[in-house]
This record gives sequence, C-alpha cells and structure tokens, in this order.
Amino acid sequence: MDALDKLGISWQLLLSQIVNFGLLMIILQQLLYKPVLNMLEQRRQRIAEGLEQADKASHAAAEAEAEKQAILEEARREAQEVRAQATRDAERIAQDVRSRADQEAQEIRMKAQADAEAQTAAVMADARKQIADLTIAATEQILGRELANRDEQERFVADYLAQQNGSGS
Amino acid sequence: MFKKLLQAFVLNARIRNAAIGVIALLVLSVVPFFNAPPPHVELAAEALLEHGPKWFTNGLLTTILVDLIIILLAVFAVSRMKEIPGAWQNIVEMLVEGMWNLTQSIAGHGSANSRKFFPWVITIFIFVLVSNYIGLLPGFGSIGIYHSGAESHAQAALDNQLAMAGAETVAVAAAAEEGKPVLVPLFRSPSADLNMTLALALISVFMTQFFGVQALGIRYFTKFFKNPFNDGMGAVVGFFELIAEISKIISFSFRLFGNIFAGEVVLLVMAFLVTFLLPSIFYGLELFIGFIQALVFMLLTLAFFTMATVSHDDHH
Repeated sequence: MDALDKLGISWQLLLSQIVNFGLLMIILQQLLYKPVLNMLEQRRQRIAEGLEQADKASHAAAEAEAEKQAILEEARREAQEVRAQATRDAERIAQDVRSRADQEAQEIRMKAQADAEAQTAAVMADARKQIADLTIAATEQILGRELANRDEQERFVADYLAQQNGSGS
Repeated sequence: MFKKLLQAFVLNARIRNAAIGVIALLVLSVVPFFNAPPPHVELAAEALLEHGPKWFTNGLLTTILVDLIIILLAVFAVSRMKEIPGAWQNIVEMLVEGMWNLTQSIAGHGSANSRKFFPWVITIFIFVLVSNYIGLLPGFGSIGIYHSGAESHAQAALDNQLAMAGAETVAVAAAAEEGKPVLVPLFRSPSADLNMTLALALISVFMTQFFGVQALGIRYFTKFFKNPFNDGMGAVVGFFELIAEISKIISFSFRLFGNIFAGEVVLLVMAFLVTFLLPSIFYGLELFIGFIQALVFMLLTLAFFTMATVSHDDHH
C-alpha cells in the first residue's frame, strides 16, 4: 500500500473519479449525444427529403418541357396543315375564278362575234337592197322608161346579186 | 545562399524584426531574472490545503474544472440547437458524428452494440482529451499555494534528482531538503493523476467484462477458464488471457498517465533550461500527444468492448 500511496492512489479518490466519470457520461448522454445525434438524423432526413423533392421537381420540369415540346410540335403541324389547306383552297378558288373568267370572256367574245355577224348581215342586206334600188333606178333612167314589170325586175336583180355574192365570197 | 539570407535580413523588415526578437528572447533566457525555477515534480496529486483533507487534491479540483468546461461547452453547443448550425454547434456535431461513425465502423453499422458502446467511448475521448489539454494551459504548475515544506523524504530526493538537470543544483537541492516552503500547484491535469487514469482503466476493463457477459452470458468466462483435463492447452491459454485482461488495467492507466505526466515534466525541464522559444516546440508535441492518447484510450476500449461480445467458441 505504500507504493500506491506514493503514486497518490487512494480508494476515495479512485471512487470519486469513477463516480465522476459515470455522472459525466450520464449528463453528456442526455445533454449532448442524444440531441446531437437526433439533430443529425433529423437533418439527414431533411436533406434526403429535400433531394427527393428536388429530384421530383426536376422530373416534373422535364415532363413539362416534354409536354411543351409536344404541344409546340402539334401546333406547328396543325399550322402547317392549315397553311397547306389554305394554299390548296386558294389555288382552287383561283382556278375557279380563272375558269369562270375564261368562260365569261368566251361568252362575251362569242356574243360580240354574233352581234358583229348580225350587223354585217343587216348592213349587207340593206346595202343589197339599196344597190338593187339604185340599179333599177339607174336602169330606168338609162332605158328611159319604167320597167313594166317592176316586181320581175327586182327579183331579177336580187338573183343576180345573190349569184354575185355566192361566187364572190 | 548566405548572401541571399543576409540580403533578406537587411531588406525585409519583418524578417529582421523576427530575427531580432528570437535573438533577444534567447539572450533573455540566460539572464538569471527570467530563469524559470527548477522544476518541482510530484508524482502524486497533492492535497491543496496543508491542514485540510487529504482527498482534496489539485487533481480532483481540476477534474471538477474539466467537468464544468465540458458541460458548459456542451450546453453552449446544444442550448440553441438549430437545423442550420452555428460555428460551435458545427464543431461539436462534427466531433459527435465523427465518434459515432468511428464507433459504428468498429462495433458494426447500426448495431445495438454501437449504441451501447457509444456513450462510454465518446465520454472517454472527450474527458481524456480535455484533461490532457487543460494541463497545457498557462498557470498549470505555476500557480499554487506554498506549503511549509514538511514533505516526505522521498519527495525531497525526487526533487533533488530532477534538479540535477539545472545548473544551481546543489543550492536548490539543499534548500528543498531543509524544508523550504514548497509550491503546491493549484491545478494538475487529471491525466497526470493516477487516480483518474486508473479509474478510467477500471471502468474500461470492468465494462468489457460486463458487455461480454451481457452478450454471451456465462459462456463469456470460458475464454479464461477451461477444464484442464479436457483441453490442457486451452486452460493455459485461458490463464494467459486472464493475466492479459488484468494487465490491461495497468497498461491503460500507466500509458495515459506516463505520456501526459512525462509531457508536463518535459515542458518544465525545457522551460528551466531555455526559458523562451524551446518550450513552444514541445507544446506542439504535447498537443499532438494529448490528442493521440485520448484517441488511443478510446479506440482500445472500443476494440476490447467489441472483442468481448464476440464468441470465441464459434471459430472452431
């Protein structure tokens, strides 16, 4: 025991140190380890949650982006279709208008031609009549007398002119 | 090289001032006025009050101080615990988490053993670390109470031996022997008090047996006691195991005590030989040793705890 005494070991002090350590451990367990480990666990969960949410959010964003792209694509396709349709319609209408215009023009031309022909015929008939009259008058004057059979004369001249006309044209 | 140094010395005011400071301190170290007193080395923690109770030692006082410091620091870290930690909370969390991971890495991840061992080993680490470091504070060993000097003869002889290191050996030794008042330091690192290291060693070894029995039941003791008629070799090995178990108490307690006590003596002696600068180097060394010893005590305890819970019969 003398050796222990020289080393300063006494059972009272030894016991006090053991008790001290036990108390310190219990106090720190309640005061430090438990709250800190709880806090660490809590924070770990929070971070895991946050990461998960961020993951979800980025997923959602990617989905939204894809959807947007799809909608844009659809819209573009539709616009393309509408434009093509419009172009086709416009062409068809233009075609219509052109053909109708052509037709009308044709009609107008034909009518004009018919008119002109009728006029010409009328003028020609008139001219023939006048020529016949003038011819008769001239002949009367030259012969100095009136042809006895006036109707016969007129028929004769008309036949002649018709003959001329038929061979001349 | 030399020319370059000389140039730097002349041109760079900072280097010049530092060099002058170093030289001045070294010169001051040999001026008698600045000489540290010859180291007073006492193996045992001393009673603070000359006529007071013997148990009220400087080691005990400092143990209480260490407890208060640890608890205050813990309270400070935990009292306003936040999800987003402040600087101090961060450091404490780092310590606790680091020890928790270390415990798990040895005792098994998420195992019940980890949770059981954790408070013991982390408390050992924190308590030993703070005990080791507190002895390095200024005032430890230098602030104290003068006793009339009715020390035992053995103490005077020890003082005598250690004072040999100094130049004024004879005078000092004579003074000590004649019963000159002796300074009893007010504080003493608990790690340099065998009561503390022995207490921790006893706790460690006792808890090793406790956890062993808890895990394996009475079977735990077959590690030490085997029927010599069935298994002669096993009985011998078991006997050695028993001795090893008991010697753990001594190795635990004297490893820590020896390291820290010797460290303090080294610091004293260095301060005595060259008052300035030289002790700083040893302070760095002591900081390192203080940390390593705390870690060693903790890791060994943890390893013994873990080993005790593993059945040895299963290996055959």
